[in-house]
Amino acid sequence: MSRDTYIQLESVTKKYTRGGEDLVVLDQLDLTIPEGDYAALMGPSGSGKTTILNLVGGLDVPNSGRVTVAETEVSGIAQRQLPAWRARHVGFVFQSFNLLPVLTAHENVMLPLQLTPLSAAERKKQADFALEIVGLSDRAGHRPSQLSGGQEQRVAIARAIATDPDVIIADEPTGDLDRNSADEILELLDRLNDELGKTILMVTHDPAAAANARRILKLDKGNLVSDEANDRSRKQSQGEA
Amino acid sequence: MIAAASSLKGRRKLSFPLRLAFRHIFANKTRNGLTILAITIAVFLLCFLLAVVRGIDAGVRSASSTRLVTQSAVSLFVSLPMSYRPKIDAQDGVAIASEFQWFGGYYQDPSNFFPQFAVNKDRFVDMYVNDFEIIEGPNGITGPGAREAVKKAFATEKRAAIIGIGLRDEEKYDFKIGDTVPIIPAIYQRADGGAWEFVVVGVFRPLKARIPDRIMYFRSDYLNDSIEVGEAFGEVSAGVYYVNIDNSNQSEVIATEIDQEFLNGPQRTQTVTEAAFASFFVSAIGNLPLFLGTVGGAVLFSIFFSVVNAMLIAGRQRLNEAGILQSLGFPPITSTFLLIFEGLAVALIGGAFGLALAIGTQDLVVLNFGDSIRNYEIDPGLMGLAIGTSAVLGITAGLCAGIPFLRYRPTEALRSIG
Repeated sequence: MSRDTYIQLESVTKKYTRGGEDLVVLDQLDLTIPEGDYAALMGPSGSGKTTILNLVGGLDVPNSGRVTVAETEVSGIAQRQLPAWRARHVGFVFQSFNLLPVLTAHENVMLPLQLTPLSAAERKKQADFALEIVGLSDRAGHRPSQLSGGQEQRVAIARAIATDPDVIIADEPTGDLDRNSADEILELLDRLNDELGKTILMVTHDPAAAANARRILKLDKGNLVSDEANDRSRKQSQGEA
Repeated sequence: MIAAASSLKGRRKLSFPLRLAFRHIFANKTRNGLTILAITIAVFLLCFLLAVVRGIDAGVRSASSTRLVTQSAVSLFVSLPMSYRPKIDAQDGVAIASEFQWFGGYYQDPSNFFPQFAVNKDRFVDMYVNDFEIIEGPNGITGPGAREAVKKAFATEKRAAIIGIGLRDEEKYDFKIGDTVPIIPAIYQRADGGAWEFVVVGVFRPLKARIPDRIMYFRSDYLNDSIEVGEAFGEVSAGVYYVNIDNSNQSEVIATEIDQEFLNGPQRTQTVTEAAFASFFVSAIGNLPLFLGTVGGAVLFSIFFSVVNAMLIAGRQRLNEAGILQSLGFPPITSTFLLIFEGLAVALIGGAFGLALAIGTQDLVVLNFGDSIRNYEIDPGLMGLAIGTSAVLGITAGLCAGIPFLRYRPTEALRSIG
């Protein structure tokens, strides 16, 4: 697999059964995302955006078709082995942050590192570094309830990058945030993509958030209806202005 | 950016998930506190009731295999004539027999009750050679010579009494050798309306669980002679006879022969082994061990459901967390394990408190209810049972709450409200 096909969905169909009836969420979908890309998935509710994230992240499996990430067929990994694969390759950022309220920011970031073979000192060092990247070293000992929404999402991003995954999957990462906090999060995702080369797949309803991505993919009723490159320089210049 | 996983340490650490489980315990102080309290009470009751049951069982088990008890065939409360003893003695295989008459008085106040028995002055000490150790006799004599000295004093002093060590050592009694102990009668009233007076000539330590350490034996002839000369009211009788036999294998035959002897006497008799007599005495107030065991089991059973319910609530609240952990790469069983650990920790904390309460109140129970609750002891076996039961309770409750996590996909778990 070349750099041009880092994430690939081939003829992927996903159905859910609701009230005894099959609901086709993705219908023979083909999608390719290169390594280091930053793609925004947009579309109305029920168009299949989050389902794509779940399939790429190995949280769900398709009814038919293949999902491949970094030359690994995710849809072919045994259910039992999927958690270990996720731990190595994918970092998740959720709309509602999904931090564990009983743990501090540092402990939340440490959580995925427990699954790595690193020593305790190395795990701590990486968690410290991840928090430093998101600018929250001084909040390491705070619990989620002691942080603002924007800070919570930054901790979630630190947790997502702590294990140095290939792909960051963000499901409406700014959905629960005010504009300023949302901008901070988007800027952070930009940096992860630009400076650290992370491949980012982001679902959003917010055009301003999508404007940060390199590509904007539009879905409707389980089909890809638009795939456009995004001129980020225009957005950046607007921001500078 | 972030260094790749390098220095391999091999195994995954358990400390972090355990820390997470502990955080949950302390994050839900009210719920877990009440659960711990419920388990504390349940384990305390379990220990208390089982200690009572074990005490009763120990009494029955410690009965001598070479001793029979002859009582009235009508009822335990019907006394046998004094004339029966020589005839019992004459039976083949009988070593020695003595009357045992319940006296039923108290010292100073009814709350100071302890058992008193009128026994044969020449036979009692020899009959109980294996049942208690005489530790102090007249003139402060102790050691091997004490038994003979006490036997002699008991045969000589008509008001002589031999007491258990508890009546000597407990502050509210504090009976010493040579003391005159006044006992206020409940059955055998004295003509002068006063108390009976007994002189302590010996102190013993029980060697068998069925013999309490707060008990007094005195001479039956003191009681009967007083009645005969009009100094006291009551019936001159023997109560029951305790009969030592030579060979335990002959107990059924000898019992039958004794009962045959009195088939046409003024009182028909029923002779049983001492163990059967002890069991009968216990069952006279109903099947106490079964009753107490049932109560304890019911308490534990209801607490079990309470703990399971608390853990199920915890499980429902933890479903979103299970989804988060799965999305981070933890296998589904991690959340199940966390709930099992949480259930185990809560149950063990409650169990430890309950056990500590049972141990802490042991002396209090013995002091206040020692006469009614015999051989009460929270022994190591009971401690192990309490902790083991708590552990099983916690693990089972954790499993009930945690097993459903295994069937949830991460996407389903993440959709739940935490």
